[in-house]
Amino acid sequence: MKADCLYIHIPFCIKKCLYCDFFSVPYDESSAKRYSDALCIELILKKDSINTLKTIYIGGGTPSLLLEECLKNLFKCLRDNFNLLPDIEITIEINPGTINKSKLNTILSLGVNRLSIGIQSFNDTDLIVLGRIHTSLEAKNLLEMIRKAGIHNFSIDLMYGIPGQTMDSWQNSLSKAAEFSPPHISTYELTLEEKTPLCKLIKSGEVRMPDEELILKMYNHTIDYLSSSGYEHYEISNFALSGFRCIHNLNYWDRGEYIGIGAGAHSFINEVRSKNTEDINAYIECLNNKIIPKAESTKITPLDAVKEFIFLGLRKREGIKIAKFKELRLNILNICEDLIDEGFLEIERGYLKLTRKGIVISNTIIVKLFGRLRLDS
Amino acid sequence: MSKNIRNFSIIAHIDHGKSTLADRLLEYTGALSAREMTEQVLDSMDLERERGITIKAHAVRLLYKADDGNDYILNLIDTPGHVDFSYEVSRSLASCEGVILVVDASQGVEAQTLANAYLAVEHNLEIIPVINKIDLPSADPEKTKEQIEDAIGIDCSDAILASAKEGIGTKEILETIVKKIPPPSGDDKKPLKALIFDSWFDNYLGVIVLVRVFDGKISPNKKIKLMANGKSFEVSQIGIFSPKIKPVDNLSAGEVGYIIAGIRNVTDTKIGDTITDADIPTEEPCPGYKDIKPMVFCGLYPTTSDQYEDLRDALNKLRLNDSSFIHEPETSLALGFGFRCGFLGLLHMEIIKERLEREFNLSLLSTSPTVVYRIIKTDRNVLYIENPALLPEKYDLIEEPFVVATIFVPKDFIGPILDLCQEKRGIQKSFNFIGKDKIKVEYELPLSEILWDFYDRLKSLSKGYASLDYEFIGYRESNLTKLNILLNGEVVDALSLIVHKDKAYHKGRELAEKLREIIPRQMFEVIIQAAIGNKIIARETVRSLRKDVLAKCYGGDITRKRKLLEKQKEGKKRMKQVGKVELPQEAFLAVLKVK
Repeated sequence: MKADCLYIHIPFCIKKCLYCDFFSVPYDESSAKRYSDALCIELILKKDSINTLKTIYIGGGTPSLLLEECLKNLFKCLRDNFNLLPDIEITIEINPGTINKSKLNTILSLGVNRLSIGIQSFNDTDLIVLGRIHTSLEAKNLLEMIRKAGIHNFSIDLMYGIPGQTMDSWQNSLSKAAEFSPPHISTYELTLEEKTPLCKLIKSGEVRMPDEELILKMYNHTIDYLSSSGYEHYEISNFALSGFRCIHNLNYWDRGEYIGIGAGAHSFINEVRSKNTEDINAYIECLNNKIIPKAESTKITPLDAVKEFIFLGLRKREGIKIAKFKELRLNILNICEDLIDEGFLEIERGYLKLTRKGIVISNTIIVKLFGRLRLDS
Repeated sequence: MSKNIRNFSIIAHIDHGKSTLADRLLEYTGALSAREMTEQVLDSMDLERERGITIKAHAVRLLYKADDGNDYILNLIDTPGHVDFSYEVSRSLASCEGVILVVDASQGVEAQTLANAYLAVEHNLEIIPVINKIDLPSADPEKTKEQIEDAIGIDCSDAILASAKEGIGTKEILETIVKKIPPPSGDDKKPLKALIFDSWFDNYLGVIVLVRVFDGKISPNKKIKLMANGKSFEVSQIGIFSPKIKPVDNLSAGEVGYIIAGIRNVTDTKIGDTITDADIPTEEPCPGYKDIKPMVFCGLYPTTSDQYEDLRDALNKLRLNDSSFIHEPETSLALGFGFRCGFLGLLHMEIIKERLEREFNLSLLSTSPTVVYRIIKTDRNVLYIENPALLPEKYDLIEEPFVVATIFVPKDFIGPILDLCQEKRGIQKSFNFIGKDKIKVEYELPLSEILWDFYDRLKSLSKGYASLDYEFIGYRESNLTKLNILLNGEVVDALSLIVHKDKAYHKGRELAEKLREIIPRQMFEVIIQAAIGNKIIARETVRSLRKDVLAKCYGGDITRKRKLLEKQKEGKKRMKQVGKVELPQEAFLAVLKVK
């Protein structure tokens, strides 16, 4: 089997945000150069697993930190070695404060046709609490630059549930974002991860997380507000105007295969999920010796596959096609009758989906379903 | 020949060194070589299983050449070491002519020291006091002697100072056994009369019965009769434990040994029963036989219904070896199919529950323990109920079991202990100083009050120093009522309680509050109510789960997030679904935490 979705990980950041537990290291030019060379070697080594590409997603870290020449080399390698579908979706994550007009133009000239912008908030207090490197002014300037460049396919990331955030400041962030008419918006609840500096601040009592009820109100308001502004709520945390859903990410929720390139990147192919080493030096070293720096790999059992299918598929607001369960030999309706009766799940046009009431406690519902799974032999 | 036999037991409070002393005696007399000697031979379950029946020998024959130049047979009869098994202890003692009373030199006399010593006095046994652990820096032999003299009234001037751990005093103990404990009396010519003091089921040999022969003789092929139920069996093998199993040709009056007679069911060989000759039976059975009844009951349910059969099989298997607990199928509206199980006491209950979970790999849910209530119905018929849910609507009278509890406590802690007994509806019967700084108090208490948090609080109020023993004294009328717990308007039968009327209101409120803390938030609101009859006396709410959702999940998160969800599922495994509400095990035991 070959995958048609490619993820490229750029693990560099200027500074780690206080809430972030993703793998990243401080940016330095020389290791970034060696790193991007290593990426090209890995791409070639994995050539046999990669089909004509439908999506490429360059994520991080902060991919917009890469030098223009590094980006150019990377795309040269891609175009020299792989077929790209004419309507391929190529996304890159960019952060305010790490990109100027020249780099933006280079990125566009390379064929990138979708930008995912880590704005997080239009409120400076929020940005300080999160430990972001940029200000709301820088965010606005970047969006202005994008507008002027005539880029119409871009996504804005926003965060709610930030310590100190109020309903008003959240609404402010939402409306400011809407002013730039992004065709795609991701709104993430701030998740407190163990061992992050923010988590320590919370535990020490210096900072307090907002009340659960307020977070819920923010979430529900987001859905109402963005829906009324013409966005489709297509995944728990994602909204898009018609035709602008992220194809690359939808592939994850559909349990599609993908190849990941880069330190700490994950791949899923032939029912095996694997991960590269996170150690950047080890990663570069391995590839210089033409070895794929795999750190772990797990064969997904049929039962685990069904679980993945359920918890990923239910993230999509349209839900999971019921016919798909039959392929998996799972009598889904038998195990979710009560949840449908109680209004947590519903069936709509042949799809099983979470209701509005169900989304906010989706883990509980998924866990219930997990407990009831019996595969017919 | 029987003049060279000595039958004895070792009695002690828990942890005063009984097992270690038994080991030393076995070692000293060469019953086990040093190589075979493993710590605490008579006590270890794992070892019993590993070595088969040689070690499950609760009566060991020791051969001892005394300083007087004669060879003696010393039969060491083991006794179970807990208050729940006092009847078994009394039957073991009935098989002896003397006991070694072991008292820890630093702890002094404790509740079970006294309970066991009184049993020995009752049976007119020679008591040899041994002050153990004299090697410890905190040992105070003189004070300990004074306490023994005060509490039991036996002369301690020649008490043996010993350290079983260090092997100090072992020989002196053996010599004293020979000199002080009288040889057994009895007549070989009389019809057979043998007392059963232990029995268990062996997979290969069937039921093995341990007996003390009082009169007559027993040999293979003899037809014997169990006097309690009149059943007859033919003896296939008799023998002794040295502690290895060793068949012998006969056992005569005064001797101790085992009988194998093709008996399949351990319930036939009740401890305390008399074995006699089926053809020429003895006129009088051994005195003191009691059909012992379980005192403490609880419901045991599998957490998932597919383990019901496994639970039934496991209970049947355990019962093969322990005729003192009983089980009957029971159905609870809330919990489905399970068993109502009866035990001698709380510890016995804990042991059985633990064995079911550990040895049979079952995931169990138990309801809170209850005593047996005696109900006089309006038609004057008597009803015993072992499950509070079964209390009828109307009755004339309700009675509950009372015990007399003996508590030993250093005088510094006596105040709070008296308050505790008061709170638990206790009636003080005696108050005595034992030595200078220990106090013995006796209270009559409802057994149900002891079941709940009594022992734990006794221990914590006395920094662990208080000890407790209790004995059933009979049923007494009490002002009791049923307290129901409702979840979302439905009575949960498995949470019903019978409580004293004066305490019902307070208990209901506290229980509802405890349940609110214990019941996790669910997909919907859970209303907890406590009710006496139709009157709701408390109401608490567990708010519905508001938010439980993963903010994001992309290509790099999938395995980690799946595992996170699976972990959440594991946490739910021990929950029992009652109606729509999921209850953790603690919910059923919440009442134990209510004062």
